[in-house]
Amino acid sequence: MSRGLIGDLGDAGQRAADGLAQMANRLAGTTLRLGVTGLRRSGKTVFITSVLNNLLLAGRLPLLEAVSGGRLRAARLEPQPDPAVPRFDYEGHLAQLMAPHPGWPQATRAVSEIRIALRFTPRAWLRRQLTSTATLTLDIVDYPGEWLLDLPMLGQDYAAWSRTMLDLAAGPGRAPLSRAFLEDVDTLDPAGPADESTARRLADRYTAYLRDCRASRVGLSLLQPGRFLEPGELEGAPVLTFAPLPPRAAAGPGSLQALMAQRFEAYKDKVVRRFYREHFARLDRQVVLVDVLSALNAGAPGLADLERALAATLESFRHGSGGWLGWLGGASIDRVLFAATKADHVAAAQHAHLAALLESFLAGPIGAIRFSGAELRTLALASVKATDTVLADWQGQPLPSVQGIPLGRDRPVVVFPGEVPASHHEIGADAAGRFNFTDFRPPPGLGRDGRGLPNIRLDKALEFLVGDRLA
Amino acid sequence: MEFDPARAVPAPAEEAAALDAALDGEGLPPPSPRRRLRAARVLAGSLAALVLVAVGFDTADLIGRAFALSPWLGGVLSGLGALAVGSLGLLAGREARAYFRLQQVDALRTRALSLRAAGGHGGAAPLMRRVAGLYAGRGDMAAAGRALTASVTDAHDDRELLDLTEATLLAPLDRAAYRLVLKASRDVALGTTLSPSALLDTALVLWRTMRLLREVAGLYAARPGLLGSARLLRRMVTNMGIAGLAESGDSLVAEALGAGVVGAVSSRLAQGLVNGLLVARIGLTAMHLCRPLPFAEDRRPRLTDIRKALLALPKERR
Repeated sequence: MSRGLIGDLGDAGQRAADGLAQMANRLAGTTLRLGVTGLRRSGKTVFITSVLNNLLLAGRLPLLEAVSGGRLRAARLEPQPDPAVPRFDYEGHLAQLMAPHPGWPQATRAVSEIRIALRFTPRAWLRRQLTSTATLTLDIVDYPGEWLLDLPMLGQDYAAWSRTMLDLAAGPGRAPLSRAFLEDVDTLDPAGPADESTARRLADRYTAYLRDCRASRVGLSLLQPGRFLEPGELEGAPVLTFAPLPPRAAAGPGSLQALMAQRFEAYKDKVVRRFYREHFARLDRQVVLVDVLSALNAGAPGLADLERALAATLESFRHGSGGWLGWLGGASIDRVLFAATKADHVAAAQHAHLAALLESFLAGPIGAIRFSGAELRTLALASVKATDTVLADWQGQPLPSVQGIPLGRDRPVVVFPGEVPASHHEIGADAAGRFNFTDFRPPPGLGRDGRGLPNIRLDKALEFLVGDRLA
Repeated sequence: MEFDPARAVPAPAEEAAALDAALDGEGLPPPSPRRRLRAARVLAGSLAALVLVAVGFDTADLIGRAFALSPWLGGVLSGLGALAVGSLGLLAGREARAYFRLQQVDALRTRALSLRAAGGHGGAAPLMRRVAGLYAGRGDMAAAGRALTASVTDAHDDRELLDLTEATLLAPLDRAAYRLVLKASRDVALGTTLSPSALLDTALVLWRTMRLLREVAGLYAARPGLLGSARLLRRMVTNMGIAGLAESGDSLVAEALGAGVVGAVSSRLAQGLVNGLLVARIGLTAMHLCRPLPFAEDRRPRLTDIRKALLALPKERR
């Protein structure tokens, strides 16, 4: 540990104060911090844009009780509380979706935040007597899911982490991508003297390998450390200049391995813990968006990778179990929603299977989370509904298909997307090539009727995430 | 003891039993045809036919004699007879339509229940259209109908469609029906508290209950008609115990206790409250029976709320 006792104590005090403030807010019921995360291309930006648009216009959320009961009066965007965090560019993303030639917005690169205030009539009789209207301030925090995948690093030391990463790199699906890096590692002696240029070269090779993984067609997602891919303001800093090395017991102080271990600890401390403290620990509710369909497209390696990534993500939500998260303390997330996005890319009758498939990935850890008191749900949703379900005629049989405009084309087509299995155990090793879900682009004229962007089950997601606070 | 695995057959699936279990209770399935009273029915039917034939003969005889006396008188009498038969037919037709409509509502409810239990996709859309069709001609429901059409998309599954129909179309009706029940319950509570004789009490309760029944049924589906009312009343008597209005045991205890405490203060007032609660209970059962969809768990009207409103009654000053 690079920090002294005093630093730890001050830190704990700060966390306790934050936790108390959060508890007070929760009791007063006036503000709620909602974290939105998901791996790359899972649809975080579109999700937040659509949620804001739909809350502001309140025309397409019939299953949100506050809306259907006529209790939601109005919503408006407000200046956000954290001056150092970039604001979520709602107007820009919305303009892109509603343009004459609409396209999907750019991806999340770092944390951003936006605040929306909801004014509503309380449902409870007693509360209605006290105030005729109440306000819920909803802070939506958007951050890359890759950062969440770093959290399990906190529970590992450098040797254990290196072993896991090197095993993963040599495994199926990744071996061709990691060849250059692994060959370099093989020629090195970790117990040799530390050398900045070697460290930098290794880190560059490792980063290149991670980039290749992410760009690969199989969509590998468990990539640690996440900041190597999204460095933000830390570009080139020493905390980002390390790589996994095969552990040697003989490596003493001053060796390459010692330097790497030191930087690994610094990364944990300055990057992972800081993110946890400043963002994650302050969340009340969390949505994790998962692009199940892309993983299915990628076949068995993609699915195995998704399972690992989800398990690592879930690790972050295990509260109060006395693990390292208990050490981090503070008030905790009490509702987690796992949503399979892009549900509009399959026929509507398949949505139940899509949600069941996602749940089957989470089957193991779900029990632990529910046991610890947090509520967890899975849903199949589409933040923006880009297709319609139609019946196509196939040899005299009606076949539920989707109609939409595929990416890179101009005219709508009708596609039979195939069937989604209800559990990932039903997918054998022959999955490669079995699934081929088409990507669609947003149709022109979205939301022109002024009722909000068309969506699938955004109202159910909101009901679960904020519905109880609108009571 | 060992058996040859090749000769063992799979145990019968229990899915059918599970579905049946899901169906009783809240669903209020239509009662099975009663067999015990068949003889009584035959008796009643044959007697009615006899009376009808006798009246017919008498009338024909009367008209014949009137024609013998004067063709004018005969004409007037036969005209009266035709009018009577015609209006009777009209009345019967209307009754039959009302009865059929109540039966249709029962079928809708059962179908909704099995759809909700199965949780599939695509089955609820026709059901929703039929429920909306029940209210198609009503001006006060036009806005709710439009809102429902606007909020439904092809992506909603069966449960969501049922939820939507309840939240958009039936919620205003539920509120109105609840107000009707509360009002009747108040009327009866006040009336029996003030009325001087027990006979008057009974008459008041009976009259107000029948009126409430017709009001609630008319609000949800259609005017039930005479026959329909009778059937509704009968089904209500059989279902009051079964449905139990999903009141938990403790609320019943609280109910009894509440009435008991008040009873110590004034037996007259207590009697009024008990009568009021009785009418409320009948009214809530009528809501369950006339509604085209079964109540979702959190939308169910509670007797407890009515009791609270009734207990607050003496405190109100106007």
